[in-house]
Formats: sequence, C-alpha cells, structure tokens
Amino acid sequence: MSAQSVDLYNTFLAALALISLAGALGLLVYRFARGKEAALSLLGDSALWLAWMVAAVATGGSLIYSEVIHFVPCRLCWYQRIAMYPLSVILLVGALRKELVVRYYALPLSFGGALISIWHYMTQLNPSLEGGACDPNNPCSLKYVDVFGFVSIPFMAGSGFILISVLLAFYMRTERE
Amino acid sequence: MNKKLLGIIGGVVGLALVVLLAVAIAGEEEADASIGYGDPVVTGDPLPVYNSGSPTDPVVGLTAPETVGADWEENEVRIEADGRAKIVLFLAHWCPHCQVEVPVVQDWLDAGNLPDDVDIYSVATSTDRLRPNWPPQEWLEDEGWTVPVIMDDQIGTVGASYGMAGTPFYVVLDGENNVVRRVSGEIGTAGLDVLVAEAQAAS
Repeated sequence: MSAQSVDLYNTFLAALALISLAGALGLLVYRFARGKEAALSLLGDSALWLAWMVAAVATGGSLIYSEVIHFVPCRLCWYQRIAMYPLSVILLVGALRKELVVRYYALPLSFGGALISIWHYMTQLNPSLEGGACDPNNPCSLKYVDVFGFVSIPFMAGSGFILISVLLAFYMRTERE
Repeated sequence: MNKKLLGIIGGVVGLALVVLLAVAIAGEEEADASIGYGDPVVTGDPLPVYNSGSPTDPVVGLTAPETVGADWEENEVRIEADGRAKIVLFLAHWCPHCQVEVPVVQDWLDAGNLPDDVDIYSVATSTDRLRPNWPPQEWLEDEGWTVPVIMDDQIGTVGASYGMAGTPFYVVLDGENNVVRRVSGEIGTAGLDVLVAEAQAAS
C-alpha cells in the first residue's frame, strides 16, 4: 500500500463528499426557491434510491478505511458508523418495497449522524475540545485524512448524512402525498 | 422502474469504484516499516501510568528508568543519572497538541530560556506510519528542533516506561534520575518556566 494510492482514494472520497455537500445545498435552494411540489417532482421515487446510494458508498468507503487501509476508527467514528451502516440497509429495503414510511426511521439516524460528524469535525479543527493532550491510542482529533486542507473523514461522513437528510426531508413524498 | 434501475446501477457502480480502488491499494508493496523507529534500551523499573486526574503523582521521588537510544542519524542520546537536572518531553508526530507545542518549545529555547544547569531531551514515541505527519524526523527537522531526540521503538517502550498516558508528556528528573514532576498536555512557555524552576529546585 503506497501513500500515493491512499492519497488517490482519499481524493476520490473527498470529491464525492464535496459533490454531496454541493448537491445538498443545491437541492435545498431549489426546494425553497421553487416550492414543495416542484421539489417532489424533480426526483420522485429516485430520492430514496439516491439516499441509499450515498449510504452504501459511505458504508463501503468507511469499511475500506478500517479493513483495507487499517485506519482505526475512534469513538466518534464508531458513533457515526452506528448511524450510517443501518441506513444502507433500511433505505434499500424501503426503496425496494416503496415504503415511504422508511423516512421516519432513516431521518433520525441521518440527522443524528450529521450532528456527530459536525462535532467530530470541530474537535479536529480545535483539538482542545477533546482535552489538552492526545490519547496515545486513538484520539478523535487525529486527522487520518486531510484533503484540500479541510476535507477529513468526519467531513466526508457529515456530507453524506446531510445529503441523505435533505433527500429524505424535502424530496421524498410522504404517505399522505 | 427506470429510476429504480438507475439507482441500483449507480449504487453498484459507486461501490465497484470504491472496491476497485481498495483492491489496487491492497495489492501494492508495503513501505519500509522500520522508518521512524529506534531501538532504545531501557533499564530499571517502569513508572506507573500517569493519572492527570489525580491531585498528586505517587511516583514523585521514585527513580525513573535510564534510557539509551539514538536519534534518526544514529547519534547516541542517554537519559541517565548524570548529576544534571533534566526535562524529558515525549512527542507523537500525529498528535495535534504536540504539533502546537513543538514550535512553542523551540522558540522558548531559541530565546535562551533554558538555564545552563538544566538539560532537555525528547522522545519521538507512538510512531505510526498510517497516521499523519509521518515520519517524525521530517516533522522535527521542519520545525528546526534542536533538542536531542530518542526514537522510540514500535511498541513504545520508552513512553510506557515513564508511564506516558498522553502526549505531549513531560517528565522532570533531578540529577539522580528521580522523578520531580510529570505533566501531560500543552503547557506553553509559562509551564516550561515552572518545570525549569522545579528542576533547579530539586537539584
């Protein structure tokens, strides 16, 4: 495993994260500029599939970090995994069965995951939030990945959680609709 | 249905890309795993792990282990009972607090704040090539680090021997290698002045 290949992988995921974040922002702007009906008709049933795609790629990407590249997940990384991994299963089942109620199970996970990612990213920006010294084993302030000077692993996870949340909250029909 | 298929195809393609990259990464040659490590020799009983939450450190007054190691250029460095008070600073290359502390300490040294009767040593420990800012010698050279460095081994023998619980980690020793003080975390220039005063007082 060369450092160049890991850099390539990091850059690939960082690009996906930035695309996700830009997509989420774009969708939010569209939703509030054009209204609810326009938003719902823009993606239709694809919103759930898109949300699943994001969760699946995030799940696969994080497993490769830990199982192939051997980055050890910290405590906050595990909390984000607890939120993201079930999403890749329940969103798939919901999409296959066209069960719109899945959003009520998925949104708390994606929203909670986003909050944890934001806190994790803040501890990386300001390690003092975690304490004055580094845990020699595995501090959460440690940046295994730093692409473009600001994209780290919790940034990537947070981007995924935010896009999933936007898709489920604003672009997915409810059963009443 | 088309949208559903599109979603499935997109998901599969995305996962496939990730897996392909992983396979490419896993199939490549490993880097030299010995870079960044030393082969220090530690003699004496190890100190208990430092507990920052305890109001007093029970190891104060105990004799610390003696260490003979080398920096990355194989220059020998000895931390032993040589009659001189000393401060030993344990650093991890990936630790953001160490990355803040090193230039602070170097500026403090450059300003001539270390008195002649106190020595300072450092130990590059907890080295891990998967973690950022590796290897430690590049980082320390970039910082213009003038403090003698012992490169710890792969299992962090030196750090464990002094009871390191976090980095940066300071151990103040008197001339007989007895522990005067241990402290973990960023201490800045004010803290360095305190450690120096305690080292001088103990000697």
